[in-house]
Amino acid sequence: MKNYLVKAILTGLIMNITNFAGAAHPELAKLGQIKFSVPEVPPRVLANGLTVYILKDNTLPVVHLSAFIKTGSAYDPADKIGLAQMTGALLRDGGSAKYRAEDIDKTLEYLGASLETAAYTEETHADLTVLKKDLEKTLDIYADVLRNPAFEEDKVKILRDETLEMIRRRNDKPSSAVVREAKRMFYGVSHPYGRRTETATIGAISRADLAAFHAANFKPNNIILAVSGAFVSEDEMFARINEKFGDWKGGEVARPVIPAPAHTAGRQLYLTDKDVSQTSIAIIQEGVNRVSPENDALSLLADIMGGGFQSRLFSEVRTKRGLAYTAQTFSAGLRERGFIDTYCGTKAETYSQALAEIVHQMELVGSEAVSQDELERSKGSIINPFVFKFSTPHKLATERALEEFYGYKKGYLNNYVADISKIDAAQVLEVGRKYFNPSNAVIFVIGNYKKFDKPLTDFGPVTEIKED
Amino acid sequence: MRLSLLLPCIMLFCQPAFAKDTSGTALPGASVETDPKYPPVVSYTLKNGLKLLILEKKFVPTVSFAMTVRVGNVDCRSGKTGLAHVFEHMAFKGTQVMNTSDYQKEKVVLVRIEETAKKMIAEESLGAMADPQKVKQLKKELSDLEKAADAYAVNAEFTSTFEKIGANGLNAYTTVDETVFHLSLPADRLEAWMVMESDRFKNPVLREFYKERSVIMEERLRAEADPGNVLFENLSAAAFMAHPYKNPTLGWMDDLKKLSRTDAEEFYARYYVPNNATLAVVGDVKPAEVIRLAEKYFSDWKSKELPSSAYTVEPEQKAEKRVNIFFNANPSFDMGFHNAGENHPDTPALIMLSEVLSNGKTGRFYHNLVEGKQLALYAGSYHAIASRYPSLFLIAAAPKAPHTSAELEAAIWEELDAVKRTPPTPWEMEKILNNYEADMIRGLEGNMELAKSLSRDDRIMGDWKYNWKLLEQLKKVSPADVSKAAEKYLKRANYTIVAITQPLPADTAAEGAKKK
Repeated sequence: MKNYLVKAILTGLIMNITNFAGAAHPELAKLGQIKFSVPEVPPRVLANGLTVYILKDNTLPVVHLSAFIKTGSAYDPADKIGLAQMTGALLRDGGSAKYRAEDIDKTLEYLGASLETAAYTEETHADLTVLKKDLEKTLDIYADVLRNPAFEEDKVKILRDETLEMIRRRNDKPSSAVVREAKRMFYGVSHPYGRRTETATIGAISRADLAAFHAANFKPNNIILAVSGAFVSEDEMFARINEKFGDWKGGEVARPVIPAPAHTAGRQLYLTDKDVSQTSIAIIQEGVNRVSPENDALSLLADIMGGGFQSRLFSEVRTKRGLAYTAQTFSAGLRERGFIDTYCGTKAETYSQALAEIVHQMELVGSEAVSQDELERSKGSIINPFVFKFSTPHKLATERALEEFYGYKKGYLNNYVADISKIDAAQVLEVGRKYFNPSNAVIFVIGNYKKFDKPLTDFGPVTEIKED
Repeated sequence: MRLSLLLPCIMLFCQPAFAKDTSGTALPGASVETDPKYPPVVSYTLKNGLKLLILEKKFVPTVSFAMTVRVGNVDCRSGKTGLAHVFEHMAFKGTQVMNTSDYQKEKVVLVRIEETAKKMIAEESLGAMADPQKVKQLKKELSDLEKAADAYAVNAEFTSTFEKIGANGLNAYTTVDETVFHLSLPADRLEAWMVMESDRFKNPVLREFYKERSVIMEERLRAEADPGNVLFENLSAAAFMAHPYKNPTLGWMDDLKKLSRTDAEEFYARYYVPNNATLAVVGDVKPAEVIRLAEKYFSDWKSKELPSSAYTVEPEQKAEKRVNIFFNANPSFDMGFHNAGENHPDTPALIMLSEVLSNGKTGRFYHNLVEGKQLALYAGSYHAIASRYPSLFLIAAAPKAPHTSAELEAAIWEELDAVKRTPPTPWEMEKILNNYEADMIRGLEGNMELAKSLSRDDRIMGDWKYNWKLLEQLKKVSPADVSKAAEKYLKRANYTIVAITQPLPADTAAEGAKKK
């Protein structure tokens, strides 16, 4: 057991936390805010720039490795959208210089090891989990698929066909389709945050394109690695990483610039008419990027608006009116930009009541300060469960790695709780005024408009879009 | 398909198993697992029958709680389907001291709400014969009374109190077999959990019932738009004729419209008793302290004899059942074969069979149907869709265009027939056991997942060591046993297939009519 970790963490009672005065259970009144310091995991850097966060923990005979690579679908060339996604998946599935794909499948699966690789908007992940006894064998595979993927032709075909099939199926579940389409209308159909993979762009991707994309983006100085589990020592593990990755050459990686969203001002509604049992509504507004000084206040406000059980949307749309099972808001910060995503699923016959209430709540947080009670509840619900981000050794190593990967300012995690605690209602109102403005949002609705209780045009200008 | 639903482990924590908890406190009345094959779980049963399973596990100071109650949709009688899930929602609505500013006054309004709602349900249940004016009038009365009750309600106090003190993963779920309530907290909140949860299980007040019922109807509408759920509900309804596994856990919409708060209160009184529940506590806690606090807060929860759960036994299927669902989505299908139940000696062989078919990229479905013939987008299997009673061996698949469901179905049957003819190779068998062992070790990493599986296995499977013991049984399965199980269960007379097909034009003749 890692005693130093347990010691590094002080669970203590602070005096006057939240407003439990008048709480139903007097026993709870004495509970304070949890005091927790995130243990340090010092980074180590190879000569070629690969950064590694290593944490030894012998509790279970397991080793985890997670690589975070700064590339993703936002880096796709405009005529080959889907390139990063296919590259990410084929690291695992397409074989490597030393190992055929079939041998990788057999070796990993026989050992009960898991290797998963996938690309997202601005990052690609490669996660290996393996029993301690099998580390040597699998670590060599892991390094080779990251460094020298082979993109075997038959595996490329299988993935291409699968991706085309997923395009055919992309509208089968309206609750997912509506958020994608709302973002697409907000950012623009060719914007890196808004565009979709299309049959033509997938068809245009060749094996050579995959290899070129890999060569341009997968460089050791563009990767951060988190490693945890049962090994002899952190030094020994670092030496093994050096052995596998040390002679990989680094180099410059070009980052695409992310343009401004296509939607600039005014409220715009979009409707896709579809005979479905429930109407899906997605609302997208401009947010902030993850390192913005406004990010914490906006996240707090999004939580007050549509985060937990007591959030405004949950209580007004769901609990008090019974209009929806899901009504939620979150603030998503990406590398250069961010957006606020609000979703609600509600029956056609009362959809306008739900939408009107959501718009009303957005207007309120954009014009009036939130109550002290809401602010304290929301802070508590962010600060007190903060410890759970670090609840296993690998989560701790990963959070420390991501702190650097995402480019947060120094001390971000160490000061997180204090920084959240300092936010006051005035700061929250300021971000509310700036970002929650439903008269300047994209609203996308998928549903059976013949059953709507009121026309969607009551909410503003509507463009009808055929599902495709 | 990975065995990720099945958990736990063989070799464990580095510390020696303790006969006492780590502080050296003796644990009278508790039993401590000392066999190094298992984690050192402390078991303790309160006099009222509430079973505790405690595992001290340290990393950061957190603790996870999972309370499994042995009641699910299978226990909801005809006309009351969905009630187990409805109660699960209502269990977040507070108590006589939570979510209320003045329960005594609130109670008076709640009684009037229930009287009015019952009249409304009675009138609505007349269907076409109902008096629309009367329904409208009763709805208005109900709505006014609900507003009056709102004056005493403290919105979401129960859940938001947990959120404020640091709850993580606060939620619950209902299946056909069980209802599980779970959350994690910073470890120094142990007593807070005991205070809040004992009050919730002993004194729930089902306020805001009719509004929550509307929320659940929305949950049902959401599910009706989800192709995977549409398939699963249709499979259950088609494969079972008599056993209550035929009913959807979300309930039939018409039943939801007729459920009253009284129904939910009666359901609570019948099933939410301590002798029907197991609580697992995993994390940075002292077992002696958990036991002391559980005694303090839960010992006055009254036990009661449980109603019979000997439901209609499903008669043997003697038909092939084919259902075409006209639904606006791309093709996919579920195949089901009745199994003999989790306690049956054939189960380990059926588990191995399912894994031979769909464990990973070297599993036969992926290797032969997604890669080899390139017919499938995916094809997976699982040996049982439920646990308390015999259920279904499930295969779920979708074709990749231009291939059709019919082609893929035929190719799956070829795979099933191949296993019947030729037993799996030793490599396939060893791979599955290795995966099982690795998954069991990884299952010990997260406190919440471990708490859920310990409490569920104890209360539903009858032993928290269920998965460790199952591994020993899996090791005894021979390749020939796998072929025999395939032969015995995966046959046409025991087969139901439900498939999503695009809606046909209205004037299309039915399959039988066309041939005339």
